[in-house]
Amino acid sequence: MSKKILIIDDDPNILDYLSALFTDNGYDTQVAPDAVKGLETARRFLPDLITLDIEMPGEWGPRFYRQMMQIKELKNTPVIVISGLSGNEHAIPKAIAAVKKPFDREELLRIVKEAIG
Amino acid sequence: MAETVLIMDSDREHGEAIQTHLQRHQYDVTVADDAQETLERLEDEKWNILLGDPLIDEEAATARIADLLKEDPSVQLIVYGTSEQVDRAMDRFALDAVAYLDLPINSKALMLNMARARNHSLKSRKIDRYVQRLTDLHTARNHFLQLFDSVPCFISVQDRNLRITAINKWFKQHFGNSVGGYCYQVYKHRSSPCEKCPVIQTFEDGQIHSTEEVVTALSGRQYHVLTHTAPITDEKDEITQVMEISTNITQIRQLQDHLTSLGLMLGSMSHGVKGMLTALDGGIYQLETGLQKQDEARVSRAFDQVKTMADKIRDMVLEILNYARSRQMQYAPVPVTDLVESVMKNIRPAALKSNVICEVFLPDSPGIIEIDAVWMESALVNFLENAVDACAYDHEKPVHKVSLTITVEPEEKVCFRIQDNGVGMDQETREKMFTLFFTSKGSRGTGLGLFIAHRVIQQHGGTVQVTSALNQGTELIICLPRIPPGSIGENGINPLTS
Repeated sequence: MSKKILIIDDDPNILDYLSALFTDNGYDTQVAPDAVKGLETARRFLPDLITLDIEMPGEWGPRFYRQMMQIKELKNTPVIVISGLSGNEHAIPKAIAAVKKPFDREELLRIVKEAIG
Repeated sequence: MAETVLIMDSDREHGEAIQTHLQRHQYDVTVADDAQETLERLEDEKWNILLGDPLIDEEAATARIADLLKEDPSVQLIVYGTSEQVDRAMDRFALDAVAYLDLPINSKALMLNMARARNHSLKSRKIDRYVQRLTDLHTARNHFLQLFDSVPCFISVQDRNLRITAINKWFKQHFGNSVGGYCYQVYKHRSSPCEKCPVIQTFEDGQIHSTEEVVTALSGRQYHVLTHTAPITDEKDEITQVMEISTNITQIRQLQDHLTSLGLMLGSMSHGVKGMLTALDGGIYQLETGLQKQDEARVSRAFDQVKTMADKIRDMVLEILNYARSRQMQYAPVPVTDLVESVMKNIRPAALKSNVICEVFLPDSPGIIEIDAVWMESALVNFLENAVDACAYDHEKPVHKVSLTITVEPEEKVCFRIQDNGVGMDQETREKMFTLFFTSKGSRGTGLGLFIAHRVIQQHGGTVQVTSALNQGTELIICLPRIPPGSIGENGINPLTS
């Protein structure tokens, strides 16, 4: 069974892009446009990895992460931060990687592969 | 130094006898025994005392001696001779000679008169030196005054009470003849000294201090000045006054403001740009893979995305370029009611949170105004936010209220009156409130909001009038022309008639 990735970002174009990129590379994906929907989807979908934007309307990425940590099924799920904010590598200290927009897709795929195969 | 004495005596032996006598009393004596020699000696050397018969043989010598006495008051004349010679000499020289002595000369009388002549000569030379020194001083003083006046800086000299005791021409031209006034009154229209006054610091430690200030000239124009202070000491080395030299750096500041706000805009845009670039990457990826997979739907969707992103990025780059030149406003006619509604929607949550009552007074049909809605809304919201903040910082009054009143008189203008009963501002804060990076809120403020808001109003050809009283509240009146300058008929719509 293919590995599952949940993509959280407020920009639909970027959701589209990441979704196509991961699907093309053999992953199963779901997308969420904000932190609240992201949490809902995560409970249901139980992803193997989450990519998370930092600056989004409503609740920001770090808040999502704190809430996610309180859910037993999700708290060990690796998170990759994908954000345009500089200094994003410190926003979520426990993230396995922080990638700056615009990112190099080969690099992103390598990180994902290393994390979940 | 010995006094120089020239003895004029046609009887050389007699002359030499007197010379020997005087030399014994430390005079430096020379004898001349005819008119020719007398003239030569007078020509060659400067003499302190002339002694003997001044009418020696010829009129030429007599005239020269008379002239010399007039020209140089330090030259003294003592006449001796037969009573006939002395008589003629009295007619000729009258009061110009120190003494007239009959032959044979009484030695005591001669020495006393020599001493008197020497004193006269010394005094006269002393006076000469004083006059010379006074003239030099006068010249130097004029020279310094000229320098003081023509320095292209605002210079003032102040006493311990910060009262101005002297100013230069530049200061006078821009701030009026303010000698006797207080520095803080003249420069800043304050009623008490400024915090961290560099003049006070210089009085305390005698060092040079500098600050950057915003001052208001007689014309009402504001200048950014770089101020340096220097101590002025008396003969006991005590600081009696302090000189303050302010250089006008308004132009540099304006340029800096422009560059800084350009930098700020680029900074705030960079997040958006990064998102766009990522989305563009996404479009290109989908286009690539769509072509590989011959998935026409994906290709067409990807092409649309690439196109949209390219347009967006182009718009943004153009916007930056426009700003770098002179930010162009995107004017469009907007109903005043819509503008006010949108502004109030933005401000109400903040007012509610701070427990501030918000009131709006709109006339029946306020009409249409041509504005850049995005900029103008954010400017008005900013002014209102500041009013709400001013209320939130006030802990004195039980009820806080911010009101927005719109008036449309005269017809070609729309005025927004924003009143609050918050903390109010002192004169200095009022004068600096639109300056870049000035904030009265400490770390809670950025010093950007009102700077940008004010600039937006100015670009719309509008004015902002501020009245405020500390602890009572503030009133802002923002007046905008219905059609901003430089955009008349641009959209083919006349907002006054539509």
